[in-house]
Amino acid sequence: MRPFLDMQFGERIVTLMAALVLVLQIAMVAQRWIVVHIRIFAAQSFFLAMIAATIAWYNHAPHLYIAAALTLVVKVTLVPLLFERLVKRMEIHEEIEPIVNVPLSVVIAGGLTLVGYVVAESFYRPEEPGLGHNALAVAISLFLIGFFTMINRRKALTQVLALLSLENGLFLAAISLTYGMPLIVELGIFFDVLVAAMVLGILVYRIRESFASMDVSRLRRLRG
Amino acid sequence: MLLIALLLIPFATAAVSFFVRRRAAMEAANLIGFGIVFLAAVALAGQVLARGTVSLANGFFYADALSALVILLTAAVALVCSTYSIGYLRDDQQSGALGDDASGTEQLARMRTYYTLTPLLVFSMLFMAMANNLGVMWAAMEATTLASIFLVTFYGKVTSLEAAWKYAIIGGVGLSMALFGTLVAYYAGHRLPGSESLSGLNWSVLAQHAAQLDKTSMRLAFVLILLGYGTKAGLAPMHTWKPDAYSEAPVPTTAILSTALLNCALYGLVRFYILTSRCLGADFPGHLLLLFGLLSMGVSVPFVLVQKNYRRLLAYHTIDHSGIMATALGLGGAMGSLGLMLHMTFHTIAKSLLFLCAGNVYQHFGTDLFAKLKGSVLRAMPLTGVVFLMAMLAIIGMPPFSLFQSEFLILRAAFDGGHLLTGVLFVLFSTGVFTGAILHVGGMVLGPGGETAVAARRPWRDGSMLALAAALVVIGFWVPAPLFQLISNAARVVNGQ
Repeated sequence: MRPFLDMQFGERIVTLMAALVLVLQIAMVAQRWIVVHIRIFAAQSFFLAMIAATIAWYNHAPHLYIAAALTLVVKVTLVPLLFERLVKRMEIHEEIEPIVNVPLSVVIAGGLTLVGYVVAESFYRPEEPGLGHNALAVAISLFLIGFFTMINRRKALTQVLALLSLENGLFLAAISLTYGMPLIVELGIFFDVLVAAMVLGILVYRIRESFASMDVSRLRRLRG
Repeated sequence: MLLIALLLIPFATAAVSFFVRRRAAMEAANLIGFGIVFLAAVALAGQVLARGTVSLANGFFYADALSALVILLTAAVALVCSTYSIGYLRDDQQSGALGDDASGTEQLARMRTYYTLTPLLVFSMLFMAMANNLGVMWAAMEATTLASIFLVTFYGKVTSLEAAWKYAIIGGVGLSMALFGTLVAYYAGHRLPGSESLSGLNWSVLAQHAAQLDKTSMRLAFVLILLGYGTKAGLAPMHTWKPDAYSEAPVPTTAILSTALLNCALYGLVRFYILTSRCLGADFPGHLLLLFGLLSMGVSVPFVLVQKNYRRLLAYHTIDHSGIMATALGLGGAMGSLGLMLHMTFHTIAKSLLFLCAGNVYQHFGTDLFAKLKGSVLRAMPLTGVVFLMAMLAIIGMPPFSLFQSEFLILRAAFDGGHLLTGVLFVLFSTGVFTGAILHVGGMVLGPGGETAVAARRPWRDGSMLALAAALVVIGFWVPAPLFQLISNAARVVNGQ
């Protein structure tokens, strides 16, 4: 039973899972199919929920269990299901065409990870015990890579997914910096994420119907 | 109790409009709902004047003079727009702009969208202005975006989809930065006693202990918040969604977005400005605000000068005014804060009036391009033409209108505070916008007219327009004493006393 009480062991688990989250984020930059993109997002959210549960266990922060459960419901189940149905209904088969090619994108994502670590250092307080040191660096990296992916994508749905992964970064930052926001705020954020996913999904569907494409670089009528 | 009523009534209005299937019932629900909301907002303002602050549910809801002013302005705009939109949507229905199937189900569905989402938008704005918890405030802000996306796509045109997409994505990225900023602010206060509880993120608590907040974190938090809420306020360079969304949404929605929602975004910014300036001193947030404020003013000048579309012209005008208000906040001090609050009030009246006039012109001529209007507004629509010109003169700061006073106050704050460059740029950019606006709107209203018949009377729209116009004229000469008291109390909140 000892590992379940040992803080150091907890930190190792969190770091391991944070690393997986980061790897998935970079995989998202690199892959080419929308359905895979959605599943990677679901997997990433799953590991986030696990991180939240681990931190809840080792730091005795019970409200984080609720945040973890909500992540499982909203980001691991509902949002991916919604988007996969959308993809099926729109009959999208084409590949994602990033603006910057894949190898270069991965290099840039690596560079952004480095930036994330540098920024996270300024928050590091060695005197304070906690689990979140590496997790925070990963969170900031997720945020930055999410930004980059949004700029780098032309397809509407992939931009939405990038926005959601950016939000995943914020969630990770919240649980590693302050063990999550107060519960009611967390509820508000989850509600917003769910509604935003639905609203943006409908919008994507309408754009696809009107333009016969999700290529947002074709949205260029409004100028000046 | 009032605070709860202010939230419940718009929500109930939305529910009623969603379930009734008749146009008249939806119109009545909106009208009555917003009427009560306005009365409640006035009552709240009275309470705040009498007691200082009003709070409820253990400080979860909290209203001081600043919140009360924002709530009052939001409720006023919502009420005027609800009367205006009755005439506006009926006209749209007749002209076939809402779809022209014979059974009318599509038209009714569109109207239901409008009459349901507008109260929800107002609900989230009011919630934002009275949420004490900064995280809840963020969630309400995000809800305003979500509620208004389908108002932007209301007409279902290809261009409205494009506008809504930009609005959703730029707004989404901006608000994610604001959430990060909120989070970092929470972290900055995490060593205060009681920070794990809900009230640890309450503005009133953080403001009391602002000096003990972690300084590095607050610095980062303010930058992120400025970028985040600045996007919603339309500060350059995050302003690009604004002209698109404003020219595609139905005009009453645009009037709400460009005044009440702008006020709410600035309100969020002001709350964090107060925390940051108490923690780090006013210089750091002030300089950043001046930078973004002047940039927004400067960016809007060329677009106002060469604009071809009058609804986009008004949108760039809003960007300019958003910049003016950010500048006023950046200047700070007693005079800058008072200038900001006065300007917020006056701008809300004048800009919503301008959009209502623009809506009248748009519906009559069916175009929003100057070139196709051929300057015949005054002849075709004498009343709208006169009011349009008057409101335009007011908004570019011509005396005797009230915006002259507030802009002059802000300018004085700049020179008195030794911000010489800010003052000079402020005058320069204002002159540019002034020229562009006079050039276009003057030409549009007064120019040689083609042969057009005089438009028929439109009681709902003209009535709302005249009510606002009367308010604009009166307030230029006489600000009612309680309103001025509320404004100066709000300025005192900003100034940190």
